[in-house]
Amino acid sequence: MTTYIIRRLLYTIPIVFGVLLLTFCLFTLVRGDISSELAGKGAKPDTIEEIRKEYGLNKPLFLSWDSQFIDHFKNALTFDFGRARDRELVIDKIKRGVAPSLALMVPMFLGVLAISLSLSLVIAFVRGTVWDVSAVLICVVGMSIPYLSFILFGQYFFAYKWGLFPVFFSPDLTKAQYVALPVLIGIVAGLGTNVRFYRTVMLDEMRSDYVRTAFAKGLSTRRVLFKHVLKNAMVPIITRVVLAIPFLFLGSLLLERFFGIPGLGYLMVDAIGSRDYFVINAMTYISAILFVIFNVITDICYALVDPRVSLE
Amino acid sequence: MTTQALRHGLYTAVILFVVVVVGSGLTGCRDSSSEEQSGEMVLHHYFPSRIKGFDPILIQDEYSLNVCSQVFETLYQYHYLKRPFELVPLLADGMPELSEDKLTCSVKIKKGVYFQDDACFPNGKGRELKASDFVYSLKRTADIKNLSPNWSVLEDKIAGLDEFREYTKDCKSAADVDYSRPIEGLQTSDDYTLVVKLRRPWPQLVDNMMADVRDAPLAREAVERYGRDIVSHPVGTGPFMLKDWKRGSYIELVRNPSFRGEPYPSEGEPGDAEAGLLDDAGKVMPFADKIVWRIIEEEQPAWFLFLQGKLDGKAIPKDNWDEAMTGTGGLTDKMKRLNIRLEKIQDASDFFLGFNMLDPVLGNNKPLRRAISYSIDREGMIDTFFNGIFDIAYGVIPPVMASYDPNIKQLGYADYDPDKARQLIREAEQIHGGKIPTLKIAFQGTSTFYRQFGQFIKRNIEAVGLKVELDLMDWPTFQQKVNNAEAQIFAGGGGAGIPDSQDFLSMFYSKYRAPGPNHFNYINPEFDRLFDLTSVMDDGRERRRLYQKMERIVLEDCPAAFLDHRIGYVLIHDWYKNYKYHIFQYGLAKYRRIDMDKRAAYKELLKKIK
Repeated sequence: MTTYIIRRLLYTIPIVFGVLLLTFCLFTLVRGDISSELAGKGAKPDTIEEIRKEYGLNKPLFLSWDSQFIDHFKNALTFDFGRARDRELVIDKIKRGVAPSLALMVPMFLGVLAISLSLSLVIAFVRGTVWDVSAVLICVVGMSIPYLSFILFGQYFFAYKWGLFPVFFSPDLTKAQYVALPVLIGIVAGLGTNVRFYRTVMLDEMRSDYVRTAFAKGLSTRRVLFKHVLKNAMVPIITRVVLAIPFLFLGSLLLERFFGIPGLGYLMVDAIGSRDYFVINAMTYISAILFVIFNVITDICYALVDPRVSLE
Repeated sequence: MTTQALRHGLYTAVILFVVVVVGSGLTGCRDSSSEEQSGEMVLHHYFPSRIKGFDPILIQDEYSLNVCSQVFETLYQYHYLKRPFELVPLLADGMPELSEDKLTCSVKIKKGVYFQDDACFPNGKGRELKASDFVYSLKRTADIKNLSPNWSVLEDKIAGLDEFREYTKDCKSAADVDYSRPIEGLQTSDDYTLVVKLRRPWPQLVDNMMADVRDAPLAREAVERYGRDIVSHPVGTGPFMLKDWKRGSYIELVRNPSFRGEPYPSEGEPGDAEAGLLDDAGKVMPFADKIVWRIIEEEQPAWFLFLQGKLDGKAIPKDNWDEAMTGTGGLTDKMKRLNIRLEKIQDASDFFLGFNMLDPVLGNNKPLRRAISYSIDREGMIDTFFNGIFDIAYGVIPPVMASYDPNIKQLGYADYDPDKARQLIREAEQIHGGKIPTLKIAFQGTSTFYRQFGQFIKRNIEAVGLKVELDLMDWPTFQQKVNNAEAQIFAGGGGAGIPDSQDFLSMFYSKYRAPGPNHFNYINPEFDRLFDLTSVMDDGRERRRLYQKMERIVLEDCPAAFLDHRIGYVLIHDWYKNYKYHIFQYGLAKYRRIDMDKRAAYKELLKKIK
């Protein structure tokens, strides 16, 4: 197991290097010289030149030990992403955004997961009945409604009309208070897709021979569903769940924007809107690293839940 | 057993919902309870975009300017109530004295003005403001290491300042710059006298430098202590100081306890007394204990917060127009029942379709440019997109400026005349030597508004026989395009920074061609001559006459099709006192007062109405 993990971790080195090369090409070669953009409207040429010096944009791109790529490489490995366009340290921005984003995304993720898994098990069990058909219909309707509509209606009714939740972020509120409604909306909006997916996974398992055998042996429904079916359905569930975890750090763009949650989704969109390449670059790099790490974790989890998967 | 399994799943789902809803919910009305208990007077505002920071020399956007102007003060300010706008002393002790040759300006500074208390000072106590603080701030703008985008305002104006900038270019780092280096044009004859020597007369000196927050004094001790983090540690002399800044979401300023206090104006213009704007005459400002700005980018939550009484004022969102306004331009019964009042705001702004005069198709083809201008139905455009409230722009200078030409409409440059446009296109084709190729219009946004607006313009121009392609892009790309003179036609506009039409006319000055503000790349020697002449001329009838002459030159050459001047409709809660719209919205929070009883009664009113 340890050898496998070490080997998988070693594989990540060229991947990280590839990510760095790709982000460098995207943010340096494709975007071009951003000095005049950084200088702002009406800036003089000498200010633009000074900005090129300040940000190292006057250095060669690759062919030197003191090149822009080496800077990019060093900064990424040390997580020193420099300062954003508003002169705040990029890493400080990211650190500040992590907690609100996770406060929003983790309960939403767990809520959707728990509810959709439970519901899909139940629905799969009552397959072919009016309950199953109704559930599938509701799921399809839920999937067809745009995410934005859930937000607009949720905010209108629950926050504005009935006053059950705050309309918008305020520092007076605790995290639980200002994320409550967005979490609820996120859960409701996410149920359609997830319940349908997990129902399909569960149905595949329910049709297996071992389920019939288990019932024939007289095991209880609860035991069959939660002990056998759920465990055997774990591989597709893990693939979906573990690989979704890195995206929790990225937050939710629309929910954060509509509810003023100062998370990483908001930060990313703001950075894209204001062309803050320093922030975009850092976020892209961190997301890529997280994705690589969670890929390794997924592989390990496969082996843990399914003895047929060999780490060798 | 089936029932058990069903129950298990449903219980899990229900419990999670209940935990989320009950555990965290029922909190909607809690935000303002703490301030009600403390009895603090809080101004609740919002911005649709985040601010960049609190370093005056780096300010470029109006929101940062608005917030910073509550913390930093300038030598002069515009009178809050009087119109036309009148400069009055703020940190200065009286109006400036100008030498006969108009090259030396001497300003006395008020004694007993202190910087806010801050850890950067010995024992944390703010020290007294000195004339040298102004010199220091201006040197910071000139210092190239600070990368101030506002240097162009001061360039080639003050004796010795350009040389100081050149010197800073040779310094290896920001720390190497010697701020004690004397500058001929910035001297202090004593601690309370600032003497500015100019290279040539600069009539906009007070407006552009002494009343501009970007040149406001910032404590040197703060810059030395916080370094580049000065953007989040403002130390000024103003009535408020920064308490909390959650970048991108929230700004909280609190009353500066060491602020000297300023009296509320005792004079205004006719109608101000009747409107209650002189009720607080002579009282010591600021009135509010705290100002809070939330950053709300979406209209829906901002509108809901306003209706819940959690914002003091709000411009009417396009999608809620019918909820707020009747067809006859009055407030709806719902707004009246909520005691909300309407303020109509005439902005000093000008929006246009700009033509790149370097473009081979447009630059040498005046009939083509004029045909495009005649093809646009401005009235229809304003009705469709701006609820019919904006003014048509007949020229460069907006009606709110003193040099506005009341006869400009009669010249007919902004007429909607498709027949004339078609006739001009025939002339244009002769000049071009064939059919006019497809024209490309750049827009500075990709939102629905820009798509719809673009379609409207396209339909208008194509109706007279031209082909148009829309090029929608984000703002930085747009900026890059116009700065590099790559946009053929571009939809642009802007507002005045000072009450002087030079701000608008400078867009057509040849020396300011792209990447400067002259994105039209327009050159007219006669216009340039008049611009140079008026640049050193004091305000008065003659300068206004010349401004109007310059405007007509521009209209005749048609480097742009002028479209509209903005009018704003703002809703204000009745507890928000001393609100009078000011185009130059700097440092106005100190005038505002909240009627706390009315604000408290609003909650009851909402309950009753619900």
